[in-house]
Amino acid sequence: MNAVEIQGMTKSFNEVPVLDEISFKVRKGEIFGYLGPNGSGKTTTMRIMLGLLKPTSGKVLINGKEPDDSNSDLRSRIGVLLENNGLYERLSAYQNLLYYARLYGVPESDRVEKIERLLEFAGLSDRRNEKTGRFSTGMKRKLGLARAMIHDPEILFLDEPTSGLDPESRMIVRDLILRLSEDEGMTVFLNTHDLSEVEKVCSNAAILEGGRIRACDTIVGLRKSHDKPVIEITLVDTGYAERTLDLLTSQDRAYDCERDDRRVTVTLNDESPSTVLAMLVTNGIAVEEVKNATKSLEAVYLDIMKQGREDE
Amino acid sequence: MNKILIVSEKEINGIIRTRSQMLVGIFFALWFSVMTAPVIMTAEESLVFDQFNNLLFYFVLMLGIFAAYLFSGKVFFNEKREGIIETLLCTPLSLRQIWAGKVLGVTIPAYLIALLAAALITVIANIFATTMLLPSPAVLLHIFLVVPAFIAVAVGLLGFGHLLLGMRENQIMNISIFVAIFFALSLANKNVISGGHVVSGVMVGAMLIMAVLLLALISYLTRYLSKERIVTTIS
Repeated sequence: MNAVEIQGMTKSFNEVPVLDEISFKVRKGEIFGYLGPNGSGKTTTMRIMLGLLKPTSGKVLINGKEPDDSNSDLRSRIGVLLENNGLYERLSAYQNLLYYARLYGVPESDRVEKIERLLEFAGLSDRRNEKTGRFSTGMKRKLGLARAMIHDPEILFLDEPTSGLDPESRMIVRDLILRLSEDEGMTVFLNTHDLSEVEKVCSNAAILEGGRIRACDTIVGLRKSHDKPVIEITLVDTGYAERTLDLLTSQDRAYDCERDDRRVTVTLNDESPSTVLAMLVTNGIAVEEVKNATKSLEAVYLDIMKQGREDE
Repeated sequence: MNKILIVSEKEINGIIRTRSQMLVGIFFALWFSVMTAPVIMTAEESLVFDQFNNLLFYFVLMLGIFAAYLFSGKVFFNEKREGIIETLLCTPLSLRQIWAGKVLGVTIPAYLIALLAAALITVIANIFATTMLLPSPAVLLHIFLVVPAFIAVAVGLLGFGHLLLGMRENQIMNISIFVAIFFALSLANKNVISGGHVVSGVMVGAMLIMAVLLLALISYLTRYLSKERIVTTIS
């Protein structure tokens, strides 16, 4: 049984379509990235999966059950971190976690140990009795994530979990997500804009644009689906980078290029890598190394967005 | 522990901890008691007892409803405006359990304000009276049964409105209710001064039946609340 199964789901508000024929599956224990620009329908999809909205048509199954209001058992197996952290600012960090632990029916004997462990994860052990209204955005986000995990859910729905976090906290959250999936078999559904986050933690992803799924595959598969060959050129010196980009993106060639310091990733059209290399060398560019590469997820994402806009 | 009680316990603690709100509630209880109880000085000797009971009958109820209005805004409206309600709707609680827990959580502190008002009116009236004044059995029944029931009706209705309506409609509703409560309070003041009627057991019984019916009606109306309605009216 899949943790999430969505088949032909549509959603309209006042007859304005917001989601169109959405279909994907998330296997148990998988970390699934749901990518898309603002207004693409990511949050609407998540709200439907959480039973906060009803789909206009189509099938939505979470752990094999429909997420309607009567299904409290299903809700007790799901952890949620939405845009709002779900924290009460007049309650302390400890009281917030205790309140949700009681609502989710965490046994009294386990509550204190769980709360202590999650406070430690959030780095808030020494501020447990402080009202959360005084916390920074990052601290609230981490506490919100701790709150979502208070009842050891089977599926964790996270909406931009690392927004507002500093780089170190982002890494901690990413490591935690990976650990939850690998060690505890937890399924994680990740709504995000952060492509590097998806690349680092997700095994599968779907890309949503204009209410439609434009691509859905493993991360490796998404990169490969871009069928044009890609090469990575390492230049002898950073000083050559600007000129190299100029040559590669000049109108008669117009290659897709990405630059990272003295490395330039080039998506080829019909030429062989040697043709490109010859052209660069002829123009006085000192090349240290050329190798086959795959496109970054970001490049694939931008291609898909561009393609989506062209289709419309 | 019953999930409704967990929600209500949290709401009661939240209201009591919000000192500014509690102080406003206590201030109004004190203000209206001080302003209205001395009215019995102007009453004829034979009407003093009836006027005292009328005072309790009207003002304890009105101040209880005012406190309910004051506290409901925080519990229902703010939670919706800040989006916390969305997370709460994802917990194992049903929408009706959340609503019922919040109604109970607001009714109890609002009723405490009403009881405080009853005590203050009794104390202040006795300062000005020549003989000792105590509430009649009918008024006691009113205070202990009808007032909490009507406060629950008011909270239930306000909560229903806050959850059902959009943010703008909610603000309009809040202002309208504030004006209506003050109009009702001044109308009550006029009735007490004119010594219009005597509070009877029949009147209290009829009000109790009305409160129970209204509670049942509001409870039925919550069937028309949906998570989708709440989520789509957050912003």
